[in-house]
Amino acid sequence: MIDATQTFSIIVILGAALVSGSLLAPYIVRVFNGGPSRFDRILDPIERRLYRLMGAKPEATMGWKEYFLAALLLNVGQMVLAFIILVYQNVLPLNPQGFPGLSLDLAFNTVVSFATNTNLQHYNGEATLSYFSQLGAIQFLQFTSAATGICCMVALVRGFRAGSANLGNFYVDFIRSLTRILLPLCLMAALVFVALGVPQSLGGYVPVKTVEGSTQTILVGPVASLVSIMQLGTNGGGYYGANSAYPFQNPNPATDVLEIYLMLLLPTALVFVFGELLGKKRETRPILIGTYGLFALDLAIAFIPPLPIVGPGLETRFGGFFSTFWTVVTTAVTTGSVNSSLSGIHPLAILSAFMGMLIQATPGGKGVGVMYMVMYIVITVFVVGLMTGRTPEYLGMKITARDVKLVMVAFLIHPLVILVPTVLAYATHAVDAIPGLTSLPTSVGFTQVLYEFTSAAANNGSDFLGASANTPFFNLATAIVILVGRYGPIAVLLALAGSMVGRKRSSEHSLKTDSNTFSLVLIGSILLLVVLTFLPFLILGPVLAYFQGMVNFFG
Amino acid sequence: MARQTLGLGRILERARLPRRPSLITGSTLIDSVVRLNPISLLANPVMLIVEATFVIVAAMAVDPSAFVPVASVREQGFYVEVAAILLITVWFSTLSDSLAERQAKNTANSLRQLESEVPSKKVVTEGWEREIVLVRSNELLKGDLVLLEKNDVVPVDAEVLEGIAMVDESLVTGESAPVRKAPGDSLIGGSKVVTDTLTARVAVNFGESYVDQMVKMVEASKRPKTPNEVAITTVLFGLSAIFTILIVALLGLSATLGLGADLSVLIALYVCLLPTTIGALLPAIGLSGITRLYERKVVAKSGKAIETAGDTDVILLDKTGTITVGNRQAVEFIPLEGHTEGEVGEAAFLTSWFDDTPEGRSLIRLAYDKGYVPRELNAITLSEVYEFSANTRTSGVKLFHGSTFTLPKGGHTRIRRKFFHEEAGERGMHLSEDETEILKGAPDSLLKAGFTAPTNFSKLVEEISARGDTPMAVARDHQVIGLIRLRDILKAGTKEKIQAVKAMGIRPVMITGDQPLTAKSIAQEVGIEEFVPQAKPEDKYGIVLKEQAQTRVVAMIGDGTNDAPALAVADVGLAMNSGTEAAKEAANMVDLESNPAKIIDVVLLGKQLLMTRGAVTAFSIANDVAKYFAILPVMFATTFPALRALNILGLGLNSAVLSALIFNAVIIPLLIPLAMKGVAFKPSDTMTLFLKNVLVYGVGGVIVPFVGIKLIDLLIGAL
Repeated sequence: MIDATQTFSIIVILGAALVSGSLLAPYIVRVFNGGPSRFDRILDPIERRLYRLMGAKPEATMGWKEYFLAALLLNVGQMVLAFIILVYQNVLPLNPQGFPGLSLDLAFNTVVSFATNTNLQHYNGEATLSYFSQLGAIQFLQFTSAATGICCMVALVRGFRAGSANLGNFYVDFIRSLTRILLPLCLMAALVFVALGVPQSLGGYVPVKTVEGSTQTILVGPVASLVSIMQLGTNGGGYYGANSAYPFQNPNPATDVLEIYLMLLLPTALVFVFGELLGKKRETRPILIGTYGLFALDLAIAFIPPLPIVGPGLETRFGGFFSTFWTVVTTAVTTGSVNSSLSGIHPLAILSAFMGMLIQATPGGKGVGVMYMVMYIVITVFVVGLMTGRTPEYLGMKITARDVKLVMVAFLIHPLVILVPTVLAYATHAVDAIPGLTSLPTSVGFTQVLYEFTSAAANNGSDFLGASANTPFFNLATAIVILVGRYGPIAVLLALAGSMVGRKRSSEHSLKTDSNTFSLVLIGSILLLVVLTFLPFLILGPVLAYFQGMVNFFG
Repeated sequence: MARQTLGLGRILERARLPRRPSLITGSTLIDSVVRLNPISLLANPVMLIVEATFVIVAAMAVDPSAFVPVASVREQGFYVEVAAILLITVWFSTLSDSLAERQAKNTANSLRQLESEVPSKKVVTEGWEREIVLVRSNELLKGDLVLLEKNDVVPVDAEVLEGIAMVDESLVTGESAPVRKAPGDSLIGGSKVVTDTLTARVAVNFGESYVDQMVKMVEASKRPKTPNEVAITTVLFGLSAIFTILIVALLGLSATLGLGADLSVLIALYVCLLPTTIGALLPAIGLSGITRLYERKVVAKSGKAIETAGDTDVILLDKTGTITVGNRQAVEFIPLEGHTEGEVGEAAFLTSWFDDTPEGRSLIRLAYDKGYVPRELNAITLSEVYEFSANTRTSGVKLFHGSTFTLPKGGHTRIRRKFFHEEAGERGMHLSEDETEILKGAPDSLLKAGFTAPTNFSKLVEEISARGDTPMAVARDHQVIGLIRLRDILKAGTKEKIQAVKAMGIRPVMITGDQPLTAKSIAQEVGIEEFVPQAKPEDKYGIVLKEQAQTRVVAMIGDGTNDAPALAVADVGLAMNSGTEAAKEAANMVDLESNPAKIIDVVLLGKQLLMTRGAVTAFSIANDVAKYFAILPVMFATTFPALRALNILGLGLNSAVLSALIFNAVIIPLLIPLAMKGVAFKPSDTMTLFLKNVLVYGVGGVIVPFVGIKLIDLLIGAL
C-alpha cells in the first residue's frame, strides 16, 4: 500500500516521461525521415565520413532481409571487437588497477549481453573491468545496442506505413540515431549527473584513510557517462556490481528520480513515434493505453504489500517505495538496472517484475517494446477481429495466414528460451554450482533461476544471481538465450513488416484499432496470452513464495 | 436517426427445403467412431494430440506401476476416468464433424434429387442426317445435343439452341409459373418442358453440374481449407506448441525438483489448455456455413467465396429483381391537352392487346377496370401488329377501319401469328385514310420518331419520373395523346435487407436502366444513396473495376452474357441459374432460385460464418483461465499446501481435475448447435458488433467455465 505522496511521485515521474516523450517524438521522427535540422551543418559531414568508414551507401534502400542482416552483422562485428578488448584488457591501456583479462565464457556472455541491450552481468564491474573495457567495450555496446533497437522499430513502422516501398537503410538509421538522438541526450544527462555528484574520471581508484584510521579505496571511474546511456538506452548494466544501489552510481534521491525518468523517456517517446512515423497519429493510442495500462497493473501488483519492506541486507537508502518503484520500472522497460538488491524485494513486487519481462511491452525496451506491441496487436486483431464478421485487418491490411504464422513464431520464442533452459539448469544440476542456491526453499531458489532466464530472454539484465552465475553453464546458456531472445523476434517481426510493404489496403469499416474499446481488449488479450503461457511457473515461484508468507527472497 | 435493424433471422430468406431426416442416426454415429482412427485425425492436430494423451493415460490405467514416480498405483481408478473423458473429448469432436457432414449431405441430396438419371433423346448428326438415340442421362457428355419434347425432363444443365418453349422449373427453383426459354437461355437439369420442343446443347458432363460440385465439396476430407481456416489453424497450432513446451517444462521441473505432480494431472491440464473446443468445431463451422447457403439454394463453388462475401464493401444491386419485382404496373392514365382520360385508356388498351408482357397485361387490366374498352375492338383482328422492338422502343397496332371481323376462337395468339409482320422500320409511315396507328413507348423515343406533343408533355413526364414512376407515352396517328404512369413494385423485405447491409458499413449501389429521376426516387425509397441510372449490363464491369481500384471488395449479381466479364472480376459474383452459361461459368456462386435479392443474404451469411469462427475461437481460449484455477492448486497441493489458497472455486481436491476435464469435453457438444446454426447477430456497425461479441464470447468465455466447473464439481461431490 502506498500513500498519497508516493502516488503523487509516481504520477509526476510518469507524467514527466509521457509529456517529454510526446514532445521528443516529432524530433525523433524527423531524424528518421531525414528531415532538415539545424545540426545538419555540423553532423552531415561527420555522418558522411562514418558511412564511408563503414563502407555503407547511404542512398541505398533495404528490404527486410538486408536490413536485418546489416543490423546482425554490425552487432556481431561489435561483439568481436568488444570480446577482444575484454579478453586482452590486461595488455590494453587504461588499466590502472591491473585487472586480468576475462575468461572466454564470461567475456562471451558479457559481449552478447551488452550488444543485445540485455546487460546481464555475471561480474562485478569495479573488481573486474579496466577503464578501457568500461568505455571501449561496455559503454560502446550500450550505445550501439540501443541504436540497433530503435532502428529495428523504425524499420518495422516503415513496413506498415502506407505507400512504403522498403524498410529504409540500416546504416543511415543507425548512425543518425547515435549522432542525433543518443549522444546528445546522454551528453546532457551526464552533465546533470556530474553536477549531482556522480564521478566521471579516468584517474584510478583513490585510496584514502578514514577517520577511524583504516584505509578505504574510493572506486571512481567514468561512471556518469555510463549511467546516462545505461538508463537512457534501457541497457541497465552498471559500472558497479551493485549497480545503482552503489552510492557513486546513484548518490542521492535526485539522481534516483532522474534515473527512473531517463529509463522511461525513450521507450515512451518511441510509443508516440510509432503513430507519428506511421502517418496515423491515432494508432499510437492502443500502444500507449496498452503499455501504460499494463504498466499501471504492474505497479498495482507491486504495491499491494505494505511498505516499507525491510529485511536483512535490504538496500534502504531510498526506502521501500523507491526501491519497489525502481524495480517495476526497470523491468517494465527492460532496463534491468537495480537500486537495491532484488533479494530484498517482496514476492509480489518480483511477480510484477516478471510480468514486465514476460510481456516485454510495458512499454518495453526502446524499439523492441513497440515491436512486441505490434505483435500483440496483430494476434489480437486476428483472434477477436473475426468476431466483427470480416477477415481481420490491421491498418487496413488483411491479416493472412503467413502473418499469423510469423507473429505466433515471434510469440513462441519467449516461452521456449525461458522454460527450456530453466528446466535444463535443474536437469543437468547446473544450479548446484551456484553457491547456496540449492539450500534455499524451492519457491525462492526456483524464482531466482527462472528470473535469470526470463531476464536474459527479455534482454532485461536484472538478476538475483549476479556474479555467482559466473559458471560455464550459466554464461553459455544465458548468452544463447539472449541471442535467440533478441534476434529471433526482431528477425521474424521485420519479416512481417517486410511482407506489409506495398500490401493492398482497404476498408473504411474494419475493426478500429485506434479506439479505446480495442485498446482495452488488447490489454485483456495480452494478459490472457502471457498468463496462459507462464502462470504455472509464476505460481511455483513468486506466487508460492507469497502464499508461504515470505516478504523477500533471502530464504 | 438510425432505425432499429432486425435480427439476422428476420432478414434472411427462409430456408425452403423439405424437412430433413434426423441427423443423429446409426450411420452418423458409426462414422464418428470410424473417424477416431489417427489417420483421419491428421487434419486436426489438436485432436490428434488429445488422442495421443488418451493412449498414455490408458496405459497408466492398465499398468500404473510402470509409470512410477509420475503415477501412483492407488490412483488407478482415477486414470481410468481420465482416459475415458479424453477419449470422449475426441469422440465429441469427430461427432461434430459427422453431424455437420451429414447435414450438408442431406441438404445437397435434397437438391440433387432434382437431377436423377432420366432417359434422354440424344441428337446424333451425321452429315446432313439427324438421328435421335435414346440414352441415359449419365451417358451424356458436354457438347452433346439433346431433343426435348413436351413433358421431357431436362437431363442435365444445358443451353437452348433451337426452339422456344415453356419450361417448368418449379422443382428446382420453387417458382410455380413456367418460364419461357429461347435460344441462348440455359436449362436447369431436373426442370420439365411443358410446351413445344427444344434442341439444347449439354453444358456439363453428367456429375459435373453445380449440385454435383457441391455434393463433393461437403465431403470434409476433399474440402480444401479456406485461407481463413488456415490462419486459425496456425493460431491453434501455435497455442498447442506453447502449451506443449509448458507441459514438458512442468514435467521436467516436477521430476527434478520433486514437486510430486501426477502425470495424469499434467495431461489433464495440457488437454484443458489446448484449444480443443475450437479445434473440434472448426471443420463443422466451415461446413455448416456452406450448408446454410445450400438451404437457401445458393451453390458456392468454393468455401473461400463465402468468406470473401463476408468482407464485402460494396454491393451492386440490379434494381429489377432485387429492389423491385420485375414487372411494372400501370396505375394511371394521364391525358394531354385536348384529350380525355378515356381516349388514352382506350388507346392503351388497343396497343396492349397483343402485348403479352406483365406491363401490357397491367395496362389492359387498368383500362378494363376503368371501363375504357374501345369501340374498335373488333377491328383489331384485322390489324397489323408492331411488336416491341429494341430499336424503336415502341409497340402498337395499325387498325383498318370498316372491318367487322369478330374475334375468332383461339384468342389473339393465333391471329397474331396469322397477321404477323416484322416491319418495325416502316412504323409510322404510309398511313392511308382508313388506317389508324396507335403506338406506345418511351416518351423520348416517340418524340425522336418525329411525333408531335402538346406543350405540357415534358413537364408531366418529368413529374412522373420524379416520383419514381416510369412514364409511357401513347400516340395516335403521330400525335402523343397521353401518358401512362407505370409503377415499380418494391420487393417485400428488400428495404430491411438494405437497412441491414448499410448498418454493417456496406455500400449498396443500385444499377438500373431507368432515367436518373426515376432511379433517384426508387433509390431514396429503399434508402440507397448511390445509384447508376441508364446503365447497360456492360457498365457493371467498369463499376466493379472502379470500386476495386479503391481496394474495395465488390459483390454483384448477374444473369446475362453481358454480365460475365463483371461477374468474373467481382470478388463475389452470384449468377442466376436462369441466366446464361457464360454468366454461371464466370460467377463463383449460383442461385438456383434465380432471386437476385439473395446477394444480400450471401453477404450476411458470409459474415455470420466468420463471426462464428471468431466467437468459438475467443471463447475457447478464454476458457483456459478457469481451467488453470481448477487444476493448478491441486497439482502441487501435496508438496505445497500453501497453494490451496488459489483454489478460489473451492473445488474438491479429487474432483477438481475431473470437473475441468469434463467441462472441457461437454462444452464441445453444447456448442455444436452454435457451430451449425452460426451465431445470431443483429446487423450493426463494426465496433458495436465487436464490443458485443467480445463481451459475450470473450468475457463470457472467461466466466462461463468457472460456473460450469463448479457445478460439475458439486455434481461429482453429490454422486
